[in-house]
Amino acid sequence: MTAGVRGAVVLLVVLFGLLALGVFGPDLDFPSFYLVLLGTVFFWIAQTSSWNLLSGYAGYFSFGQAAYVGVGAYCTAVLTGRHGVSFYWTVPLAAVLCGLLALGIGAVAFRLGSLRGEIFALLTLAVPFILSAFARINGDIDGGQGTIVPPPEAPGDMDFQQFQYLLALIVAALAVGVSYLVQHSRAGSALTAIHDDEDVAEVLGVPTFRYKILAIVAGGMLGGVAGSVYALQIGFVTVESVFGLTIPLFVIVMAVLGGRGHWLGPVLGAVLIVVLQDRLSSYGLDSWNAIFLGAILAILVAAAPAGLYARLKARPWVALIAFVVVCGVLAIVNLWGEELDWILAGLLAAAAAAIVLGTRRKPVPVPQQAAPEPAVSTVEDEPDDVPPVGDVVVECRNVAKHFGGVRALEDVSLDIRTGELIGLIGPNGSGKTTLVNLLSGTFRPTQGEIRVGGRDITRLAPHQIAHVGVARTYQIPKPFASMTVRDNVATAIMFGREPMSLRAARPLAEEHLATVSLDHLADSYPASLNLHQRQLLETARAIASGPKVLLLDEALAGLNPAELDNAVRVVRRIHRSGITIVIVEHLLRVLNQVCTRIVVLDRGTKLADGEPRTVMSDPDVVRAYLGRQAHV
Amino acid sequence: MNVVQATLSGALIGGLYALMAIGLSVTWGVLRVINLAHFGLILIGAYLTFQLATSWGIDPLLTLVVTVPAMFVAGAVLQWIFDRLALTEFNSLLVSFGLLIITIQVASNVWSADFQRMDATVNPYATESVSIGRLVFPVTTLLAFVLAGLVVLGVHLVLRRTFAGRALRAIAQDRAVAGAFGVDHRRLSLLLGGAVGATAALAGAVFSLSNALTPETAYEWFGIVFAVVILGGIGEVVGTFAAGVLVGVLSGVVSVVWSPATAPFVLFSAIILALLLRPRGLFAMGAVR
Repeated sequence: MTAGVRGAVVLLVVLFGLLALGVFGPDLDFPSFYLVLLGTVFFWIAQTSSWNLLSGYAGYFSFGQAAYVGVGAYCTAVLTGRHGVSFYWTVPLAAVLCGLLALGIGAVAFRLGSLRGEIFALLTLAVPFILSAFARINGDIDGGQGTIVPPPEAPGDMDFQQFQYLLALIVAALAVGVSYLVQHSRAGSALTAIHDDEDVAEVLGVPTFRYKILAIVAGGMLGGVAGSVYALQIGFVTVESVFGLTIPLFVIVMAVLGGRGHWLGPVLGAVLIVVLQDRLSSYGLDSWNAIFLGAILAILVAAAPAGLYARLKARPWVALIAFVVVCGVLAIVNLWGEELDWILAGLLAAAAAAIVLGTRRKPVPVPQQAAPEPAVSTVEDEPDDVPPVGDVVVECRNVAKHFGGVRALEDVSLDIRTGELIGLIGPNGSGKTTLVNLLSGTFRPTQGEIRVGGRDITRLAPHQIAHVGVARTYQIPKPFASMTVRDNVATAIMFGREPMSLRAARPLAEEHLATVSLDHLADSYPASLNLHQRQLLETARAIASGPKVLLLDEALAGLNPAELDNAVRVVRRIHRSGITIVIVEHLLRVLNQVCTRIVVLDRGTKLADGEPRTVMSDPDVVRAYLGRQAHV
Repeated sequence: MNVVQATLSGALIGGLYALMAIGLSVTWGVLRVINLAHFGLILIGAYLTFQLATSWGIDPLLTLVVTVPAMFVAGAVLQWIFDRLALTEFNSLLVSFGLLIITIQVASNVWSADFQRMDATVNPYATESVSIGRLVFPVTTLLAFVLAGLVVLGVHLVLRRTFAGRALRAIAQDRAVAGAFGVDHRRLSLLLGGAVGATAALAGAVFSLSNALTPETAYEWFGIVFAVVILGGIGEVVGTFAAGVLVGVLSGVVSVVWSPATAPFVLFSAIILALLLRPRGLFAMGAVR
């Protein structure tokens, strides 16, 4: 049984336990006070879990959760309280309204070319402010004084506490369920890739815009439904109570406390914070509430940014023992407080133990890379292995790219045929990387046309270009930091031309890692790799998307001679497997050996194009590279 | 005539926005810290002015003698903390958000959550105004505008003309390389943090002259001040001032021409539009960043 399935089973057992508690609790003399508290816990679990879809998994921190809570709560409060609409109709309506709101926010924010995490956070901060200003100014929406929410008719002979408990439980279960499913699906991998490096994800074929919209809309709808139930729970809805900054504040503190990468993190955070809040106010320390929250946020971000879940996972038994000991001792001694105080003390002790001790993990032994074996290369260099040159696969017609007044590329025409291994050379600033960026869709050409396999790609998004069959590597490797080497490659396979699940992609990823001689490091994280290994990982990830053409941007830079030999061997191996390669490089000696053709760029124009030997002896090329005085 | 009055009043109020925004913009652009706690400093500055003027019965502007040094120290301490924690840009946003919440709660524990306003007897500025023809300008907004102008000019000259300013601009471009050339970023960031704190004291004092105080006001500044920071271009001193005036004029005119209700919509739509068209800020000239 994998960890994921185990998690699902535990989740279902807990859900049924809580459901049974709600239905049979009052018959068993279960204090209704606990039902109210748990109802609050469920509300916050629903909020943090739905917030986590975009802000945790994809890393786009939102300060705007109050917008969904507010719209959901207002929808229910105003329609039931002032217009007599049935509560059950307002819930789906809240979902639809909040979904549309989220769609609007996402459609605007994710179209911004300059969008960075901070700007997104501040934009989302503005949304509840605008909505609350709107509600306050248009007083006839809620009568100006807030709205009383009439309790709806509960089914059966349930009392109100039971009813709100069950409703909140269902919504929370829905949110956690969605969060769980997203994490264990392709969407989860896509969002994690976006979190780690959005540009790379897009170039590898992940439709990033679509997944971000999916996450924000799903989060908005769930948040709105929970807000609608919240209106019922609090009974009286004012602008301040639902649009205020406390809601995003709580959500953020809970998620940061619990951890954002895993569906369980927000749940942990919500439970801990709600119980803490409840105890603080029961001791009359309400005015210290915000101070505790602020301190938790500030200290945790600085000390344990990964959150409680990661620490608990590292030290589960220590935390459990701390909880049992503290809770048990307090209960036995029975000098202070009541049950809930003991539970809270136990939870805090467990959290503290996990945070303090969780860092002392055993260092993961990094498998040493076997020294490259140079002997193999002689066999591999057989010239008849080289695939025959075939039809044109990439066609650049009069391509130009201007950045303001800078003409990075001017009127470049180039045909690339299948089976070729083209070296793209030129002095620094001659437009090599710009050409790679145009071919991979990072930039759009100012003029001209680029066709891949007969299809015009100049209007396509980078992920569509990836699906047409262009893959690239970056000069400075950009691995997905939170994934293992294997999952880095598997992600590229999952979002290649044939969609695939993570489970199916992993074995295939091993094959690609073997191609670049990196299979022995499949379980490591990119942080433990050296430059050469990262470049190989970058290459493996690029070929994993199943390209027709592979663009290698300075994949040999900064390597020592042994690493260089290894890298060249990998390039040849990929070439022989039938992938056309364009390699940007400065090492002319190496290019001379491996390339079937060399293209020289100088100041944005094509200077020479042809057989390596002919190009290298071209006097113009020599002048561009070595200066006017050079003799050959 | 109404529109002219609204334009000019808006421009003057924009001075206050700029005064609040300038510290945020500079710490963000130069020190790479998004310091939400800056709002807390402004708030405390405002309350200190209120408290000192009320209990000692002195001219509110005289309280600056106390509040400016106090906020300088507070700003420097904040910056020291951020430096020590070595946070990423985004984590600094979260940490300072935590600090802001604490500050607001402390302010509300000390001064209560009710609205408080300086007595007319200690605060002669609130009721006075200057009139030119049929146009009327409250002294408080004039004061804010002039102070903002002076601060902008000062910061601009320091960044442009002095050695420390050049060093700060070097830090803004690349801290590691600046360090390799012997720029001591620790000491300079403490200084800058202190100076930013001092501008918070000014902004707080001016705010308290014309407004009633409540701790929650700090949240209300968020939207408009960040709009000014982003529109002006992060780290752009003159741009921030221009953006402040522009935002002030826009909300003033929209309030008069349509209704105050529409002002936030028009404003934020304009900001989103501006971000689409000029992502680096309307007035970005590559000054600091």
